Amino acid sequence: MSDAIPKPLPHPDRDSEPYWKALSQGRFQLQRCGSCNALRWPPRALCNRCVGFEFEWVDVATTGRIVSWTRTHQVFAPAYRGEVPYTTVAVALDAQEDISMIGGWSTDRDPRAGETVRIRLVDAPEGFKLPCWEPA
Amino acid sequence: MSLRDQVAIVGIGCTEFSKDSGVSTLTLAARAILAAVEDAGVQASELDGIATFRVGDSVPPAILAQSLGIRDLRYFVDQFGGGSVSHSIVGQAALAIHAGIAETVVCYRALNARSEFRMGGTGRPPVDAIETQYQAPFGYFTPPQQFAMAARAHMERYGTSAEQLGAVAVQQRANASLNERAMMRKPISLDDYLASRWIVEPFRLLDCCLETDGAVALLLTSAERARDLRQDPILISGVTWGSGQTLYSNQQPDSTRTSAADMAPRLFEMAGVGPHDIDVAELYDCFSYSVLVQLEDYGFCKKGEGGAFVESGATALGGSLPVNTHGGFLSEGYVHGLNHVYEAVSQLRGDAGERQVENAQVALSAAQPGYVSGNTSALVLRRDS
Ligand SMILES: [Zn+2]
Repeated sequence: MSDAIPKPLPHPDRDSEPYWKALSQGRFQLQRCGSCNALRWPPRALCNRCVGFEFEWVDVATTGRIVSWTRTHQVFAPAYRGEVPYTTVAVALDAQEDISMIGGWSTDRDPRAGETVRIRLVDAPEGFKLPCWEPA
Repeated sequence: MSLRDQVAIVGIGCTEFSKDSGVSTLTLAARAILAAVEDAGVQASELDGIATFRVGDSVPPAILAQSLGIRDLRYFVDQFGGGSVSHSIVGQAALAIHAGIAETVVCYRALNARSEFRMGGTGRPPVDAIETQYQAPFGYFTPPQQFAMAARAHMERYGTSAEQLGAVAVQQRANASLNERAMMRKPISLDDYLASRWIVEPFRLLDCCLETDGAVALLLTSAERARDLRQDPILISGVTWGSGQTLYSNQQPDSTRTSAADMAPRLFEMAGVGPHDIDVAELYDCFSYSVLVQLEDYGFCKKGEGGAFVESGATALGGSLPVNTHGGFLSEGYVHGLNHVYEAVSQLRGDAGERQVENAQVALSAAQPGYVSGNTSALVLRRDS
């Protein structure tokens, strides 16, 4: 029953395709602006600090800090019936702390706000690897 | 000439709020619009503008124009979006009237949000959004999850407590007990709140809005013409809408502050009032936490003190700033923001019965403060004097 509708996978767009591809190869890469040097995420064609279109994909630190977290008890989609409750975290990256991202958390204890975490890539169908987080 | 006080809300209408309307969104919208027309004392055929917002879940303006016998619709707004844009359609209607493009514009929101199209996305794929790909693969794709993440950050940073979130739910239920339109009228205690089941920690069931079938309509015309109509005109003193930063904008990683904080000064400046002038506030309460953060971001209390402000009783009926006097989405029903405007108008007319705020002259009604989309919108309304 619970497998009837699969869990959502990333649906890369023309800006994000290299990001997901690098992850699938085990690399955590973000865009670095060719004009002002700022990192940006999510992947976009232009920098929202200097409106520059130039960029390169660079490997960045795979660590960050827990900003917040939730635990989902409600089954919002059938694919998660066997998963609840599950924890999701918001992480500010060490590479640039004004970048925060949502990710999975599968460690047995609760996350703690402010704690240092590192990426753990989790295999998903169709060759995707999802950036989840664990205590550093 | 400024838009301040140039356009008035002259009619309000709504349907029953229920879990299963048993009718189409066209029927709901038509019922609410005809009620607003009747309330204002005008004819449906006089409508020359229609404005709504929707997310692919409701009847569009053109179908209503046909159904209501409007042969020459001069103006419409069919805004894509959820609660964050709810108050912007009222602003767009006011602009059209002020510019002379239309004279009598109705704003509506009609939805079967329990029986047909649930906002949480249960049973359908996540809505199309550029940022969904970075959330949905983690089982994170619904508003309660997104707001719970922000609420936890606020609790961590400012010490906001479960009891303070609960105080929002308890006060609003007390208000709803005095509101014949409300779906949930039985008073609750803080213990009831704390005993309600987890939805997404730190949110319990009673932190979350009701999913509702229903419609609300608001009829607008020029302030000058409004003075010849049946009801006391309620003037649009200030309206603004805009877009700020989201979790994903690289510039606003602080989820304890919303776009409303950027917009509030513009709104109050346009209306020529400040937070201390507001007699009653209807604040978008998709979740209890969004009330706390709006109290801070609209300047009713200091940053981080929203929880203590509510806990003090200031926001209850009889307090210094009664909030969500109808019970809000938590207890009246969830008509995506327009039921807040309906209640603000009722209060300013002095028509709110047992829950009437004494001598209410100026009201704030505010949309979803800007999580997820970054968009928000709000109105300052006042009695014509
Ligand atoms: Zn740049």
